[in-house]
Amino acid sequence: MKIELRNFTKRFDGQAVVDNVSLTIESGEMIALLGPSGCGKSTSLFSICGIHRMDEGQLLFGDKDVTNLPSQKRNVGVVFQNYALYPHMSIFENIAFPLVVQKADRATIRRKVADIAELVQISDLLERKPANISGGQQQRTALARALIRRPDVLLLDEPLANLDAKLRLEMRSEIRRIQSETGITAILVTHDQVEAMSICDRIALMQKGKVVQLDKPREMYANPANMFVAEFLGNPPIRFMPAELHENQMIAGGAALPRPQHLKQSNLPDKINLGIRPEHFGPQFGNEISGHILAIETQGRENLYDVALSDGGVLCSIQPANDHLNPGDTIQWGIASQHLLAFDGQGERI
Amino acid sequence: MKHISWLGVGFLTPALLIVGFLFFAPVVMTAVFSFTNMSTATGISGGDYLLSPNNLDEMQAHGVSQKTLDALADTTYQVDDHGLLLLAQEFGTEIANELKERHNNDIFKNRGELERALKDMKHRIRSPRDRKKAADLFGTSILNQRFTSKVDFITAVIQTGAVQADIPAVTSVAYTGWQWTTNNFKRLFSLPATWRYALNTLAYVTLTLVFNIGFGLFLAISTFYMPEGFANTFRTIWFLPRILPPVLYVLMWKWFTWDTGFLSTILAPLGIPAQNWMMQTSTHAWVTIILINGSVGASLGMILFSSAIRSIPASMLHASEVDGASRFQQIRHIILPQLRWPILFLTSYETLSLLASFEHILLTTDGGPGKSTEVWALAAFHTALRNYSGNLQYGYGAAFALILVAIGIAASLVYMRLFNFRDLVSKPRIER
Amino acid sequence: MPIQSRNFKAAPMIILLSLLSLPLLIMCFYLIVDTITNTQPGTLIPDEITFEHWRFLWQTTENSSANIWRVTLNTFVFSITTATTILAISLTAGYALSRLNIPFRRFFLSGLIMLHAFPTITLIIAIFLILQTLGLYDSLIGVIMVKSALELPFGIWIMKGFYDNVPWEIEMAGVQDGASRFTVWRKLVLPQVQPGMMALLVFSFLTAWSELVLPLVLAPGNKSQVLSVYLATMLADESSIDFNLMKSVGLFYVIPVIITYMIFQRKLMNIYGGGTKG
Ligand SMILES: Nc1ncnc2c1ncn2[C@@H]1O[C@H](COP(=O)(O)OP(=O)(O)OP(=O)(O)O)[C@@H](O)[C@H]1O
Ligand SMILES: [Mg+2]
Repeated sequence: MKIELRNFTKRFDGQAVVDNVSLTIESGEMIALLGPSGCGKSTSLFSICGIHRMDEGQLLFGDKDVTNLPSQKRNVGVVFQNYALYPHMSIFENIAFPLVVQKADRATIRRKVADIAELVQISDLLERKPANISGGQQQRTALARALIRRPDVLLLDEPLANLDAKLRLEMRSEIRRIQSETGITAILVTHDQVEAMSICDRIALMQKGKVVQLDKPREMYANPANMFVAEFLGNPPIRFMPAELHENQMIAGGAALPRPQHLKQSNLPDKINLGIRPEHFGPQFGNEISGHILAIETQGRENLYDVALSDGGVLCSIQPANDHLNPGDTIQWGIASQHLLAFDGQGERI
Repeated sequence: MKHISWLGVGFLTPALLIVGFLFFAPVVMTAVFSFTNMSTATGISGGDYLLSPNNLDEMQAHGVSQKTLDALADTTYQVDDHGLLLLAQEFGTEIANELKERHNNDIFKNRGELERALKDMKHRIRSPRDRKKAADLFGTSILNQRFTSKVDFITAVIQTGAVQADIPAVTSVAYTGWQWTTNNFKRLFSLPATWRYALNTLAYVTLTLVFNIGFGLFLAISTFYMPEGFANTFRTIWFLPRILPPVLYVLMWKWFTWDTGFLSTILAPLGIPAQNWMMQTSTHAWVTIILINGSVGASLGMILFSSAIRSIPASMLHASEVDGASRFQQIRHIILPQLRWPILFLTSYETLSLLASFEHILLTTDGGPGKSTEVWALAAFHTALRNYSGNLQYGYGAAFALILVAIGIAASLVYMRLFNFRDLVSKPRIER
Repeated sequence: MPIQSRNFKAAPMIILLSLLSLPLLIMCFYLIVDTITNTQPGTLIPDEITFEHWRFLWQTTENSSANIWRVTLNTFVFSITTATTILAISLTAGYALSRLNIPFRRFFLSGLIMLHAFPTITLIIAIFLILQTLGLYDSLIGVIMVKSALELPFGIWIMKGFYDNVPWEIEMAGVQDGASRFTVWRKLVLPQVQPGMMALLVFSFLTAWSELVLPLVLAPGNKSQVLSVYLATMLADESSIDFNLMKSVGLFYVIPVIITYMIFQRKLMNIYGGGTKG
């Protein structure tokens, strides 16, 4: 089901925590609400499921205006960060609870619980209590409980935050699998960009209560709207350095570089910020820039280099692992100028 | 609050009703009563109008004129049906009938006139003694006569010839029901006994509190350093004063201190004469009271402080040990600072409880010997509910109690500031 | 967690504390011994075993004309009814104050703390007169109502504390699962506060069981007497004081308390300790 948020504002004690946000999520799509802590992700999520009231704006499920409907009537499934399983009930009772509330008959309940338990692969745990199953299994239970009513929308609030690294990878693909198998419209709240990029169709990046960019993951990575977005996506993160634009060249990092193709227009400011991702800086791109290696971080397949430039700036480079270089060595590397991201003084993309 | 949960309103209603009727109403009534002279004598509903000879002196003190007093004291003689009936019974119907014919409803200023009238009749009464007796049958005095309505009473007073200006004063003295007055408070502030009670209360609260906190701290800290088994045993023992019903606890103390009890028996071989160690002198009484109440409070202190000490990170204590801190240094520099809030809390909580409590004193010394251990709350109780003279003075007792209410409200306002009430009330997170 | 090291010696403390505990232990010891023995004046060592001190169980004694079994039944009725009333009302009111959007919530919460500050004596005079007018004087119903009302602020405060500790997410999940707030409360929240319910029930039972002043003033008659009043009447009569008899009554009176204490010791320590916050 298509979900539409129009000019949504939420205030706590007069302070706008979410400020005039509009967002459309297509039917069957999985979208990520991504942003740093405290930017208003959970608040948005709670408003969509009806726990919070919206101070301004409208919420539409399909064509239906649900702005003033209470949670119980919205048919939204939610998975909470700590799963919020009912500790006194067995896994079966947990999953069945939404149906029990609807006063479904026993046979139906048993059938539906069995089906959904199979989907999330916890069929053999139904008799246990939440305290006696692992974090990943609790996660699956929470998903099953959220899905059993066949909700119009599935909301997930940082569903992977409490899992260890390996389980997180596993559940990430599980969530995606279950979402596409059921074809449900889903919103995933997270502050982990890898999570958002890897399983969502689109990402809504939030900052201080506003959506700053809404795009497909690749697109957002390649074409960030501003420095905040550029820095938020990508690990190791993008590095910035100031640059001066001249007639035909550009002074940056203590070196004179040719002015890149996409920065040839004449209406640009003289002083800009350049954003350079680690994969776009290295020996394979030339030798115009000199510096010395500050630190080397080995990641197995790749090495990360922190390089101090002659003007004091620091760039990061990622390269296939090798043993040639040591901290302190001086280098002469180049940058892939066609991938340079340029930002103006306010941090907006040029 | 934009949205009201009707479930919440429904859930709160029973509590509100009960608290309203049995908590709020009584407090308001206490305040009202404290401005009345209600007592067993006046009753709690309305009253009648009755003048007794004693009242006459009282009225003089209220500035009622002599003329009125004389008039009220006077007996008048009226020939009415009631008197005639009595006359008929004693001296025959003929006399009665004749008197009715001649003098029905006449009023005679004094007995002599009526006697003369009786003498002048056809069926006259011969003996002067009998005439006197017969005349007395018609005597009416406003004294000792009960009127249920105010109008009747005033009419009767006017008939006696009382001065008009004195009537309000007379009526007020004659009224036997309760009346509005501020005398309770005047009395409260002028009687030396009141100040005595206030001082007793002050001493009682301070000394008991010191014992509470001091001994509670001692129990908590000493058991903390003990092996688990000993610590639990001592904690269980010292939890007893709190858990035992006050009557039983006091009974145990009474036996312990009685002149045939434990202390006297065990001290006898040392040549100390048997005596009542609880009530012998007021010093004895005070020590007992403070020990009894203090140990109850110390139980609470022990529990509070123990859990506070247990929440001190063990690493902090271990570190200080490694630094070679002595036990006293550790207590002084690590444990006591951590107990600041629990101590402050217990002080506030116990101050209020002690101010109001009188159960243990009531059972132990009942305020004695003399009035030496009579505290404020106990005085209120004695005045209003347990009075040896038999006249329970509700109004005066309520005035005592009202002072406690005022102190209680003031103190709780202060405490709410102190303990940051704001932190205790977070807003509901489900907004509908 | 006790710290034990060479640095600190526990023995002197244990000895000191044992000495201080001695009077209390002696009182408890003789409370039991004296009920089944006779001791000659001037000594502490009993010389004969007897059950005559328990005669109050089958006959009325010179100190009291009330029937002990009637009185005991009254005490149970009084304590159990009071405890259940307090629990029932605190359960709903505590939830409303902790979790629901109600008007004047702050005001009610501060009122709760204030009520806590009202001593019995400030109410009892008026209540005495109210009950007399209502015709509930010297009846168990009257004392039950009054005792419940007096303990209610504390009960509500305690329950509110327990509700405050239930994770909000559980309620949010329940609401999302389509349950009404009432269903959420009954099926999801109540099971989480069960330890609190138990603690409050036991605590209220014990306070009611120990209560003296209210029944003494409001229900002193033989028909509605409770054990505390029964014993207090004996204790007050100093002309014919019989400690053996009174101790037997006292022991009889305290047995339910001791049993409850032994079963619920840990829980009680918690509510006595933590419960008084506020
Ligand atoms: N009930 C509330 N009352 C007042 N302020 C609140 C309330 N709930 C949240 N806030 C504030 O609103 C802002 C956004 O909170 P929100 O929980 O939506 O952040 P978030 O993006 O989910 O962060 P996180 O990643 O840490 O969960 C924060 O500054 C928070 O302090
Ligand atoms: Mg959040």
